[in-house]
Amino acid sequence: MADRQDHWVFYFDPNRCIGCHACSISCKQFHGRDSDADDWRTVTHHEKGTHPASEEYDADTSSPIENVPISMSCMHCHDAPCEEVCPTEAIVKRDSDGIVTIDQDKCIGCKYCGWACPFGAPTYGDNGLMSKCNMCLDQGPGSGAGAESKNEQDNPIQPNCVSDCVGGAIKAGPEKEMVKEASQAAAERFKSNNERVIVEPFQGEENLDMVEHAATPDNAGD
Amino acid sequence: MSEREGTLTRRNLLKTAGAAAGAAALGGCLSGDGTDSAPSGELSTAFGNCWMCSHNCGQKAYVQDGTVVNLTGVDGHPRGSAGPDTEGTLCPKGLAQLDKTHDPKRIKEPHIRDEDGTLRKVDWETAFEETAKRLVAFAEENGSETFLDATSWAETSIFRTVWRDLYGSPERISRGIHVCAGPTFVTGGMMGVGSNNRVPDYQNSEYIIAWGRNILNSFAGQFEAKGVLEAIEENGATLVTIDPQHTITAQKSDEWMPIEPRTDGALALAMANVIIEEELYDEEFVENHTYGFEAYREAAAEMPPEEAAEITGLDADQIRRVARGFAEAAPQAGISVWTGTAQAGNGWKATQNITALNGLVGNIDRPGGLRLWKYPATASFGQVCEEDYTPRAEYKEPALKKYDEYSDYPVRHIEGIAHNLVPEMVDNDHINGIVCHHDDPLKDGNADAWIEAIEAMDLVISIDAYWNGVSRRADIVLPEATQLEKDTLGTGNWSAYPNHKWITGSKAAVDPQWNTKPDFDILTGIADAMAERTDNDDWTIFQQWDSHEEYIDDQLSTLDLTLEELDSGETNYELLEEYDYEQYGEDFTFRFDLDQVSSFATAAEEAGMDTAPEWISPGTYGDSTSEEYPLEFTDVRSVFFSHGSNQPHERLQDQFAKRNQLSEEDYRGNYLYLHPRDAEERGIETGDLVTIESKSGSGDLMAIVTERARPGFVTSQYGFGQTSAITTGEDARERSADGMNTMTLHDTQMDPITGQVDRHIAVDVTPAGGD
Repeated sequence: MADRQDHWVFYFDPNRCIGCHACSISCKQFHGRDSDADDWRTVTHHEKGTHPASEEYDADTSSPIENVPISMSCMHCHDAPCEEVCPTEAIVKRDSDGIVTIDQDKCIGCKYCGWACPFGAPTYGDNGLMSKCNMCLDQGPGSGAGAESKNEQDNPIQPNCVSDCVGGAIKAGPEKEMVKEASQAAAERFKSNNERVIVEPFQGEENLDMVEHAATPDNAGD
Repeated sequence: MSEREGTLTRRNLLKTAGAAAGAAALGGCLSGDGTDSAPSGELSTAFGNCWMCSHNCGQKAYVQDGTVVNLTGVDGHPRGSAGPDTEGTLCPKGLAQLDKTHDPKRIKEPHIRDEDGTLRKVDWETAFEETAKRLVAFAEENGSETFLDATSWAETSIFRTVWRDLYGSPERISRGIHVCAGPTFVTGGMMGVGSNNRVPDYQNSEYIIAWGRNILNSFAGQFEAKGVLEAIEENGATLVTIDPQHTITAQKSDEWMPIEPRTDGALALAMANVIIEEELYDEEFVENHTYGFEAYREAAAEMPPEEAAEITGLDADQIRRVARGFAEAAPQAGISVWTGTAQAGNGWKATQNITALNGLVGNIDRPGGLRLWKYPATASFGQVCEEDYTPRAEYKEPALKKYDEYSDYPVRHIEGIAHNLVPEMVDNDHINGIVCHHDDPLKDGNADAWIEAIEAMDLVISIDAYWNGVSRRADIVLPEATQLEKDTLGTGNWSAYPNHKWITGSKAAVDPQWNTKPDFDILTGIADAMAERTDNDDWTIFQQWDSHEEYIDDQLSTLDLTLEELDSGETNYELLEEYDYEQYGEDFTFRFDLDQVSSFATAAEEAGMDTAPEWISPGTYGDSTSEEYPLEFTDVRSVFFSHGSNQPHERLQDQFAKRNQLSEEDYRGNYLYLHPRDAEERGIETGDLVTIESKSGSGDLMAIVTERARPGFVTSQYGFGQTSAITTGEDARERSADGMNTMTLHDTQMDPITGQVDRHIAVDVTPAGGD
């Protein structure tokens, strides 16, 4: 088994996300997915506060407005709850690079994985079969299950969402490399938050817990 | 989500587009039966330069069987990256170029309107012959000087040669001054810093003011957004956003100034007041390089921060803090300004007062300040043209300057035409025809009057990729290839490389889809047909080039480059000659007061305006809110759409709906943002269809109630509406994607000096009664 440090993870910096959705659009384009199919990478927007020109605004007690975009996809969890519940072993957390893939030939569309995933990442297409982010191992739903390990590719292709992120907010790579790029706070949270995705602390009025906030079935995975 | 079975899907599209490309290569025509012919050939790469907003971010296209299957950025690209060794990307509208290329909603064949009024498909030869025939008849009946050149953002530079020099029309309406940011561009030119008084040297800045700009979501090349983020991270730069609405740029800012709309001129004067009073200005620069400081000082003295706070709704302490911060960071302090402060009746003074701040702190052409960007010198048409011809429009005066009917419009001293006045000029028989390219003037101001004007014209030629408000009404429709199907050359200035001139170019990534042609080939086709019909050799001028690439190579000859060389390496750009800061020389003069510019002084006198900076209140030249129309409206831009070019694209529509948290609704048009207080008074909730009405028009769109909106101020995205490139959808979702043309609310409000469309309109909003 490859070292956990070699498993690929996503990194997200909400301070650099400009909420433009280029990640979602480039994902759909790369995988040839219809516009109205579910998003494998989803951008949500989280708003609170009061406009300062409002009559209700009280400079002493109210927060100014926060409107924070969050981009999330399948986090390729090291403990992959989706894999654990899959009755046909269609879902695999790959030893080689840590990417969680689905073999649609084995998928029976039972949706257990959708129930098990705390982030709502698995969704189901017209054929009733599970589909989700494969970190661009290959193109299209269900692809990449047998693809060569990213760690064995000479110049591993970056996920399209990473390549097209205008603000440079999304990165992907082996955990050891991503942790090096992260701030200490982000790395510590990654360790204490079940090591799923590295998220930089949001430098806003309040340090919202972005992962918990974004990663609900209502907000993630469409 | 609505049922959409049976419509053409992306998957089908890739199959049929692949089939189409194969068929075209064999000289056949599109069968489009959707049989299984998904791209399976070898994957190759090609370059492109994004023309969605015309700012040339580099594209890398992945092509399979003649179909673009993926699109991404070019690393290190001057417009699409943050500079050397940084990744190039594409924004959502740039990514949509993939969908646009293979969009089955495009115009696929040339069309000519019959005498009985129906548009019929013709082949290109017939289209060119008919175009020449009708242009000749038009010149005989109306005079070619009454033909309006409304061509925009072409991937070739020969439009002007065809319509002005060869056909002989002096009437030219361009996007920049009339509908984009006339006051910003023209004041910059007159004050001495050129129209580039809008893009600072972000990466080297320590203090950036986004003044009426949402730089992170509405940029002129992605380097702007990237540069701001870099400045914050690398320099610890302070970012200030001045905007009535809360935007993503406000979100990332250290200071957000939620200013009362149209009061930017007062804020700028108050900042000058603080900077002058506290002697924080650049005395050496003001002494040696400026003119009219006393007049400026007097105007600023009349606007202490407390008075500006009353006018702007801001806090006097915040005004002082920002003024000091800006001046103390200077010269590494830049103001980014563009449309937000320009698209108002008092936009002239707002931009004059804002631009004046640069002269005051001496940040001109200094690192991190207002950079005087330079273009590389490619060869002009005159330089590459080896044949003589007679420029026919040279001595013709535009109607606006020539006829007494327009003597009440001060704009005639500055500009040859104004967007809002075209319908009146059509009524007066001074404009009788139009050629429109890649643009929809029906969305740029007084929409209803423009629609009538287009319908009244004797000849309407549309060169476009989509059926829109103009092409649907045109006599001649020439289907244009889109950018990835064309050879392109971009000669930029502002970029992520503040010390280099640069150039970017690419050969067509794929063949023109269906029966379309690049604009260069369309124009040369028209010219050849005109040569045939008129027997005038001037029209043979383009025959010296066999292709657009050959013409581009001639343009590049001054740089000792070819398109092949630009396109064949790892990137599709070249950094050229290096240039330093402060190249303006000892004799450079920055003008605070414009009394030396006689055309402006005359126009200003007629408009009742001073030549020096001054405060002019909202409503002086535009709308004031009233009991009947108590809300102020203006339109805004979205990172998802560009000027009507890509509003038909489902991916953008759907993500736009998701961004607005209304994707579960069938509606896919633009949204009206209003504050909870204004919504509550009217019984409006998010997701309601509402009617917005001004004294001259109305329309329906979907409301979003949000604290991001300023009380009393409502906004919506521009570029949508009944003249859109859609309207053909069969289900509610597709039909609603038209949204509302916000310019149906507009009358003829404008900045009196440049004729810039004033987009601040007094309105009211009511529930539309729909769901």
